[in-house]
Amino acid sequence: MRRTPARLIATSFVAALALAGCAAPSAEDASPELDPTDWSSVLDAARGQTLDWYMYDGDEAINAVVEDYLTPRLSDEFGITLNIVGLTDTADAVNKVLAERQAGLSGSGTVDAIWINGANFATGQQADLWYCGYPEALPNAEYVDFEDPAIASDFGVPVDGCEAAWQQANSALVYDSAVLSPADVESLDALTDWAEANPGRFAYPAPPDFTGSMVVRTFLYDLLGDPSELAGEYDEAALADVAGQLWERLNALEPALWRGGQTYPTSQAAVEQLYATGEISAYYTYGPGTVANMVTDGVFPVTTREAVPSVGNIGNVSFLAIPEDSADKAAALVLANLLQDPETQLRFFADGGIYPAIDVERTPDDVQQQFADVPLDDSVLPLADLTANVQPELNSGYVSAIDDGWTTNVLQQ
Amino acid sequence: MAAGGIRRLGSRGSTRLPRALRIGLLLAPALLVVLVLFGGGLAQAVAQSFGYQPFLPQRPLSFDAYRDLWADPAVRASIGLTLRIAVLSTTAAAVLGVGAALLVRSLGRCQPAFAALLQVTLPLPHIVAALAIGLLLAQSGELSRVAASAGLVDGPGHFPALTQDGFGWGIIASYVWKEAPFVAVLVLAVLTKGVADLEDAARALGAGWWQRLRHIVIPALAPALGAASVLVFAFTFGSYEVPFLLGRPFPATLPVVAYQEFRDPDLESRPLAMAIAVFTVLLVGVCALAYLTLSDRLRGAGSAAGRAKVVR
Repeated sequence: MRRTPARLIATSFVAALALAGCAAPSAEDASPELDPTDWSSVLDAARGQTLDWYMYDGDEAINAVVEDYLTPRLSDEFGITLNIVGLTDTADAVNKVLAERQAGLSGSGTVDAIWINGANFATGQQADLWYCGYPEALPNAEYVDFEDPAIASDFGVPVDGCEAAWQQANSALVYDSAVLSPADVESLDALTDWAEANPGRFAYPAPPDFTGSMVVRTFLYDLLGDPSELAGEYDEAALADVAGQLWERLNALEPALWRGGQTYPTSQAAVEQLYATGEISAYYTYGPGTVANMVTDGVFPVTTREAVPSVGNIGNVSFLAIPEDSADKAAALVLANLLQDPETQLRFFADGGIYPAIDVERTPDDVQQQFADVPLDDSVLPLADLTANVQPELNSGYVSAIDDGWTTNVLQQ
Repeated sequence: MAAGGIRRLGSRGSTRLPRALRIGLLLAPALLVVLVLFGGGLAQAVAQSFGYQPFLPQRPLSFDAYRDLWADPAVRASIGLTLRIAVLSTTAAAVLGVGAALLVRSLGRCQPAFAALLQVTLPLPHIVAALAIGLLLAQSGELSRVAASAGLVDGPGHFPALTQDGFGWGIIASYVWKEAPFVAVLVLAVLTKGVADLEDAARALGAGWWQRLRHIVIPALAPALGAASVLVFAFTFGSYEVPFLLGRPFPATLPVVAYQEFRDPDLESRPLAMAIAVFTVLLVGVCALAYLTLSDRLRGAGSAAGRAKVVR
């Protein structure tokens, strides 16, 4: 029988449909249940897997450690191919997991691990997205202090074994000492006085940007004096008492900000760009350890310094979460464990200025000595100064409410 | 071979496969892509805008998100800005594009080289254009530096704010830089030898420059210009990355506001994000339809219609 083009197209069309049907994943194909307490079985299952790690990729120093240290260790020691998927906003990864859950990709999801904390973790808990019950079973868990409130709960949301800690971030004020004196950064009031005398040279990104949101909370803590007033579950009435004063203070600060506060930078990267080009002379960061690299690379002026104003600095822990639907959970477990390895933590600290999430005192003496011996650039605060007055994060319910309130009462005014 | 096949099918196959079915089958692969990828996404957006979220506890579908949309100050501030940017970008791109096309056409022997030059910006992604415009126009950008070294401004803060500005100059500049050459390429394609011959004939009959433009060139390029304008308008109305990079967090264009809501960690705000997206689609659709109807009527009613047909 001779084939006409129409029939040819029709046949191939039907064939394509049939193929698409075959390729559709089914939940039954998922790998057998993993048992993280049987570590050698995890290692066996992980061998040969490709691990898609969704992470914020805006920090060159962290990227370098991941590329030069984690990737080769994963492939050489564990036979795992690491594939980094860069993000500027972690919510994008959570949205992808949600979309795949909706599409029915159970057991074959393409997101294997996410660098996460705070509201994004809470979103996943809300929709029951995470694989749980492994952090205390990881071999390197012996170095982790699970009693530490910063590890046990994430922005007020109990971790419940659904994510594994891997780094600690304490905020700090970065400033150009050629423009500001140490007295100008002693307190937020002093900083405000300086900004009013030098309008346009201080900026923070618009919340819900992660860092901008922290700056707003730092001003809130300064108003409260003691943030423990807002400890625990989100309480709308407790926030309402102080919110009015906070918006008033931030609105009063606007004329002193970049562009007179008529608009705000849209991201922390934009703020750091403004500092690099000299448009502003002071900004807040969650990554004080990474400033040294910017100075060494000549992006920031050599007169760059850091300070913790009298209110203290907000600190939090970053985690690795594994979606329940991930196709390569075993490899993700290996990554979670490798991230808590003292050698990895030391490498992140020495090369990237990333502070350890493990309890360094639990590591062998020689490792502790190595941590103490890491040389610090003049621009960077020593760990002791940075951790002297660390304030906890609020419950993520407060964080979202403050972000929304800021948008309505400060940005849109 | 293929042509022979089709002829055979046309002559005797028609008795076995009805014509409509045959056309449908031939179009099916292309239609399927459009329907599944675009229609599927749109259907999902509409469903979620009514509150359909299977990963959350079940609840009744509602129009709540559309009510919230009117109450949301971010959306209200956004509509005017989005329309302003889309209309100004489209108008500027159309005027500059037609101007460039007419200029290139008048170049004679150098024409192919300049026509190729117009296509240089076409393959560049919009995000690259936006970053380049940012580096050029920001208060600490190249223009500002040149102005400062020429002694025109004292420092970055004194240079006029052209990015992250309230009006949207940076966004419009980025769109015009990308879209004017696009319009020019489409317009240039319809300004064929036939049009030039008609112009020569008109000139011989005593028509002036303006009369030739008004009665021959504009009717000839109107269909292409109309199509290009609708494409540019729909794109500039619905595009995200340029206003995100060069615009303000508030007021922001509709796609930026939709994405701000989409990224809200609280899944309860997802329906609002989808409602904004659906609303954007509807606005673009209505504007495009109105424009096409209007331009059709103008062409149909105008005395130019007959001549335009002759040209074609």
